[in-house]
Amino acid sequence: MIKYAFLITITLLSFSGCRSDYDISEVAPADFLESGENQEHVHEGTDEEATAERDNHGQTGDENSIDEHVEASHAGHNHAAGARNHGTQWFFNQPWAAPFIWGKLFRDSAIFLGLAVAIFFFSSRKRRQK
Amino acid sequence: MKAVFTFSLMTLRMLFRRRTLWGILLIILLALAGIASVPSFDVSNQGRFILDFGLFGIEVGALLLALGLAATLYPRDRETKTLMPLVAVPLARWQYLLGRFLGAALVQAAALLVTCLGLMLILLFHKLPIPGDLLPATLLIIVEGWFLLSTVFFFSFFTSPPLNWPLTTMLFMVSQMGVAEFVGLLPSAPGLMRALRMLLPHADVFHIKDPIAHGFDVEPVYFLVAIFYGLCYSAFMLSLALAVFRRRDLK
Amino acid sequence: MTDVRPLQVKELSKQFARKRGLGSVQAISNISFDVNQGEIVGFIGHNGAGKTTTIKCILGLLKPSEGNISLWGSLPAAPLARKRIGYIPENPDYDDSFNPMEYLNMFASMRGLSGIDSDWMKLLRRVGLAGWESTGIRQFSKGMRQRMSLAIALQSEPDLLIMDEPTGGLDPIARKEFRELILEENKRGASVLLSSHILSDVETICSKAIILSRGRLMAEGSMDDLLGEEHLFRITVISRKTGREVEETIPETDLQSRIDSMRKDNLTIVKVERALKSLEEVFMAATGGVKQ
Repeated sequence: MIKYAFLITITLLSFSGCRSDYDISEVAPADFLESGENQEHVHEGTDEEATAERDNHGQTGDENSIDEHVEASHAGHNHAAGARNHGTQWFFNQPWAAPFIWGKLFRDSAIFLGLAVAIFFFSSRKRRQK
Repeated sequence: MKAVFTFSLMTLRMLFRRRTLWGILLIILLALAGIASVPSFDVSNQGRFILDFGLFGIEVGALLLALGLAATLYPRDRETKTLMPLVAVPLARWQYLLGRFLGAALVQAAALLVTCLGLMLILLFHKLPIPGDLLPATLLIIVEGWFLLSTVFFFSFFTSPPLNWPLTTMLFMVSQMGVAEFVGLLPSAPGLMRALRMLLPHADVFHIKDPIAHGFDVEPVYFLVAIFYGLCYSAFMLSLALAVFRRRDLK
Repeated sequence: MTDVRPLQVKELSKQFARKRGLGSVQAISNISFDVNQGEIVGFIGHNGAGKTTTIKCILGLLKPSEGNISLWGSLPAAPLARKRIGYIPENPDYDDSFNPMEYLNMFASMRGLSGIDSDWMKLLRRVGLAGWESTGIRQFSKGMRQRMSLAIALQSEPDLLIMDEPTGGLDPIARKEFRELILEENKRGASVLLSSHILSDVETICSKAIILSRGRLMAEGSMDDLLGEEHLFRITVISRKTGREVEETIPETDLQSRIDSMRKDNLTIVKVERALKSLEEVFMAATGGVKQ
């Protein structure tokens, strides 16, 4: 059975469409990435909120963006809640924020569902033959 | 399908009568209460802190529940020989697997909803607003829990429960990795690692704790896509589990 | 034409792989036998002779390495064939958190049976579990678990009962009750495959026996054939001179001439009967009297 699963998987992987994954940092269109790091910001007050956000998560994204962010926080500015900010690339590189990968996600789901159905029937057929 | 539903009901009643469920549920609720009592950076951020770590706690709870509820189900059925009269006569193997899965999935979902209610109560206690997306976020964690449950079932057909725990936990951790991180585990074989990563699940799909904690709206269509992905991947894992189970000789 | 025999096993073999790929063990080898409608077939052999392996192959729990099994002409996996089977496993166990009534209700629902609580009460009474319907199975003794297993097997009024050591570990009274239940079921029309190494049980209720040793079929036939295989007769006579009773066993071919000669010798013939061997003797002869 595992042999069948392996063959099906290899077949699917050989299709070019299935080889491209939905890792956002790799497949994001340029405008999506730019909108995160190069947009204009409204500078108001301190940067407490952004700093707290980073600390809470303990996650950072790429190193350049952290430096950039730290630099920005020294400059002392704050961003409105919900607005995209320096150093928050990791935050927006999550599937919920990247509609351009939802189609790929749907495609992957369909592939896995197809595989599940195929494995179900192949394994049952092999058992019945005995 | 009636046989499957009856058997899942039987599984559900059996799991509710076991102490494992209540023990894990208590641990998660205590952890949530603990998160709320950790002093935050300042009062304005306390809501974010509770939501962020609370949802993370529920997610870890989903993993614990999947392992605690399902890792011993099949091995115990085999050991006590309760499996034989079931699979020999009234149930086909797929019905056994689906019945056990559905029963455990319902119990797990109920337990996670209780933890979500616990988190809501904590927010209310601290006089903090409850975000509208908290329930959908829990729903996504429930779907992630079902994926973990199907993984536990898959491993349980060829490993012992003590091995099932680290294997499932490892898959849970790997599934959180991006492609670049994953390829970094074995940089000498990037092609293989990329192919593997495509086959392995993307658990980040189920994470919306960040936007919820920070007051972002998540598009409703995203919930549908993510739930569909989780259900399809669970079906894939269950079909693999079934393929292994169908090959098993029940000595 | 459809094969109506409840069970047909043809050239069945099963090998188990040893751990770490170190070769294989031949558990059963080239076994063929049938269970016909209305028969009670005893399946006997030493521990490890292959009885349970054969039964598990019949039920689809083990995949045969070679050979064919058919249940009423269908494959063992066929749902319709499985519905007609009642199975009692060796040392049965059930989830401790349920009671017999819950179990029977759930099994009934899984089997698509339409019975209600009062039907299951009757069934529990029949197997000797009256009054225990609401008691958790965790409190049950081994014998009670066997009875529970019998109740589950009989619930669907099966056409074929497959029993793997159902009386093992039971006291004599419980064993007698089990035997009576099997005979009742047979009277209803069920065929029975009874695996046991309690030879007296098999001898008492079975119409046919299959003897296995080391995974091979050593003897098979009706009980009359097996126990009186060589058609010997036992003549009991009393000598008029000494008044002593003497028994003599002779083949059927010599029976008439021997009776004539005894009459000539003034011996009083008390009894002429078929000289039946005990099943134990047949079993020991078939298996060479050796342990596995």
